[in-house]
Amino acid sequence: MILPFWLQETLKAVLIGTAVLFFITVNALFLVWMERKVSAKIQLRRGPLYVGPMGLLQTLADAVKLISKELTTPRHSNRFLFVLAPLVVFAPLIGSFLVLPLGENIIIKDLNIGLLLVFAMANIAFLGIFTGGWSSNNKYSALGAMRSVAQNISYEIPLLLSVMGVVLIVGSLKMSAIVEVQSNVWFIFLQPMAFLIFLCAMLGETNRAPFDIPEAESELVAGYHTEYSGFRFALFFLAEYTNVFIGSALAATLFFGGWRGPLLPGPVWFILKTYALVFVVMWIRWTFPRLRSDQLMSLAWKVLIPFALINILATAFVLSAASAGP
Amino acid sequence: MSSTLAGAYLAPLIEHFKNTPGVQFNEKNHARTGFLSEAVIPESSIRDTAKKFLSHEFFLETLTAVDFAECFELAYCFNHWKECSRCVVKVVIPKSQETATSIHDIYAGANWLEREIHDMYGLKFTNHPNLKRLLLPENSRIHPLLKNFKGEVSGSDVKQVGQLIEDYKDGYETGYAEDIPKHPDEYVINLGPQHPSTHGVLRVLLKLKGERVLSGAPVIGYAHRNHEKMAEVQEYKAFWPNVGRLDYVGAMSYNLGYAALIERAMGIEAPERTQYIRVLLTELNRVASHLLWLGTYLLDLGLFTPFFYCFDDRERILDILEHVTGERLTYDYFRFGGLQRDMPDEIVVRKAGEFIAPFKKRLKDYHDLLTRNVIFQKRTQHVGVMTKETAMGYGVTGPSLRACGIPMDLRRHEPYSIYERLDFEIPTEGGGDAYARYLIRMREMAESIKIIEQIITRIPQGEYQQAKIPRNVPKGEYYFAVEAARGSFGMYLVSDGSPQPYKIKLRTPSFANLSSLPVMSQGCFVADMISILGSIDIVMPEVDR
Repeated sequence: MILPFWLQETLKAVLIGTAVLFFITVNALFLVWMERKVSAKIQLRRGPLYVGPMGLLQTLADAVKLISKELTTPRHSNRFLFVLAPLVVFAPLIGSFLVLPLGENIIIKDLNIGLLLVFAMANIAFLGIFTGGWSSNNKYSALGAMRSVAQNISYEIPLLLSVMGVVLIVGSLKMSAIVEVQSNVWFIFLQPMAFLIFLCAMLGETNRAPFDIPEAESELVAGYHTEYSGFRFALFFLAEYTNVFIGSALAATLFFGGWRGPLLPGPVWFILKTYALVFVVMWIRWTFPRLRSDQLMSLAWKVLIPFALINILATAFVLSAASAGP
Repeated sequence: MSSTLAGAYLAPLIEHFKNTPGVQFNEKNHARTGFLSEAVIPESSIRDTAKKFLSHEFFLETLTAVDFAECFELAYCFNHWKECSRCVVKVVIPKSQETATSIHDIYAGANWLEREIHDMYGLKFTNHPNLKRLLLPENSRIHPLLKNFKGEVSGSDVKQVGQLIEDYKDGYETGYAEDIPKHPDEYVINLGPQHPSTHGVLRVLLKLKGERVLSGAPVIGYAHRNHEKMAEVQEYKAFWPNVGRLDYVGAMSYNLGYAALIERAMGIEAPERTQYIRVLLTELNRVASHLLWLGTYLLDLGLFTPFFYCFDDRERILDILEHVTGERLTYDYFRFGGLQRDMPDEIVVRKAGEFIAPFKKRLKDYHDLLTRNVIFQKRTQHVGVMTKETAMGYGVTGPSLRACGIPMDLRRHEPYSIYERLDFEIPTEGGGDAYARYLIRMREMAESIKIIEQIITRIPQGEYQQAKIPRNVPKGEYYFAVEAARGSFGMYLVSDGSPQPYKIKLRTPSFANLSSLPVMSQGCFVADMISILGSIDIVMPEVDR
């Protein structure tokens, strides 16, 4: 039996969407568990132990608890925006998974502008954070929202500029092409400065410590999601960990040869590299204090952007010299 | 106890008092009373006297009122930072008058102290800019430290308290009308009293423009229990549990202060062994207190991990203290002329040895991880800068004062117990910022460890309790100050010879240190506000008493 084309496509979309959603959830649950274990190891503790083997099901239990909680809405908030915000933060993440190359030819849609799509989607999420903080009608939330807007604008630029070097070498924004070019040498060796800038900017984009000022709990209680509870809070939480995953996956693809590696199949390498980078991100979080918002800005504008520009210039210069040579 | 204090800095003032008509001047025995001199001056000349003290670089240690049957007596304690020169200046206010003169513009620290007296005694201070209640709610109608306030269940004063609860039944408007900003860019935010970083129930009324702090006014009194009234209605020994509940993080110093005060007043001295044990426990507690500060301060700066390391180290100290006292936090172990029970020497020496070696390594780790950490430096250097003059004006003491370059530590400044015989240094730093305060506390921990090492090798054997303790304290006024973890903790005792204290004023270091917050926080960012608040290391139950 042959289904009509539109039905085939719809079915495909639904199936892939469900699979991605399932992956996001399981991945976030695992990352939360991993974060708790990593932080425990760093902090002389043992972390979750009792629910499931090595406490693996602890986060699942927590998620169930979170979902079963009452959804509260502050009395003077803008209810429509307040409910909308977590969805706006969460939904674009699914889009980013479209273009992540898990292995050779294992990619949902190998778009020409793959790399650009990920950044575009990440930016929409900030709109949600801002709406959430603003509509809560809480001064702490509003402060968090203000900070996140400023931070997003500042860190978007070095993030994009840092990958430009890679894009110049590859000559394409296509994710599969980027991995293809790295078959001989990973870009981390050709573009080490770009990687450092990318890592910094990524931490800034994903609101991770030491750049977690929009939700700085010792200053702003919980920042933009102070008023959120239950499942809506869970969506913010899920988004945060998925963002870390996407950022690390992007770094693995751009600088560490993506799914390429000996012996093991591509997807395994991809996941291994991504989780190794996630571990680095967690390690940084539990080692450094938080920056102040103005210091954060000056880091972006006075350090990261100039160095990213220098990196692009140098790359372009070397490339043109190489192509013009004998 | 040393009584060889020369009082060279006091000489010009003594000269001044002797030459002024209408001033009653007495020399006092420092070893017996804690004062070097006393002057009773007419109410009209207090401002001139205060200016005179200020010009000779004295600071206002404390200010309190005593309710006598026919008059109020205001007692201003002045002291010099270079050498102990404590002088009490008294002003007698007749009951019919009810007004006194404010010196808030001469000594900024008097602002809060005068408000507290207004709150507790109903006295009014002329020219005070903000004469509101400090510790009790704004619309209270009681003045609890008046002698006619009995606090009996059937009495009219308790009915007033009931009325107060009735008034607040539907909640009340927080903030003051005059604080609501007129400019559309500005807004007010309540930092606390329920906030993760205010270390208890402190409320700071922040006026902001964006993230910039225009002004930050602390509002205190949420943990007020009126220990001073409790002292007045109980016998001397019944006050012991209260002492451990002022600063619950460094309660040993407070035990030591109270024991030493009453011993000074009774004219007894604790046995040698007891003195050693007291200092040992106090220093251990000081390290524990600084560790707790370090952990929570870094938590305020968004750094989680050291908190667990600090608590791990602190846990070992608490284990030792628990072995000795049976308590882990609010110690109630010292007694007049002795201790509650003897210390198990072997266990303590062994456990202290087990603690010291790993802790020295940890201290090095903290230095390696923090002292030159760029982010840490950026968050603390040039943040919350306090000048020497500000610190003196507000009566700031402890690490916050030593971070401004003033080497005043009562363990050397006015040596008590066995500190004279111990070898340790008083660290000072010049910066006056949060980073300098951090460095001071880190070095103080190392110095305390040095003291502990000296003591555990030479604790003498013998009696731990003075056999004969008088029941009453002789009539008179006494002062005793000790260096607590947060600064100078002083107690001013007025005794009428009865088994109960007539008046005890608790001069707590955090109170004065916190009152300087508006100066330090002027023009900083919200994030700095947290950093400053953490760096002065306040404990709210001690501020509110």
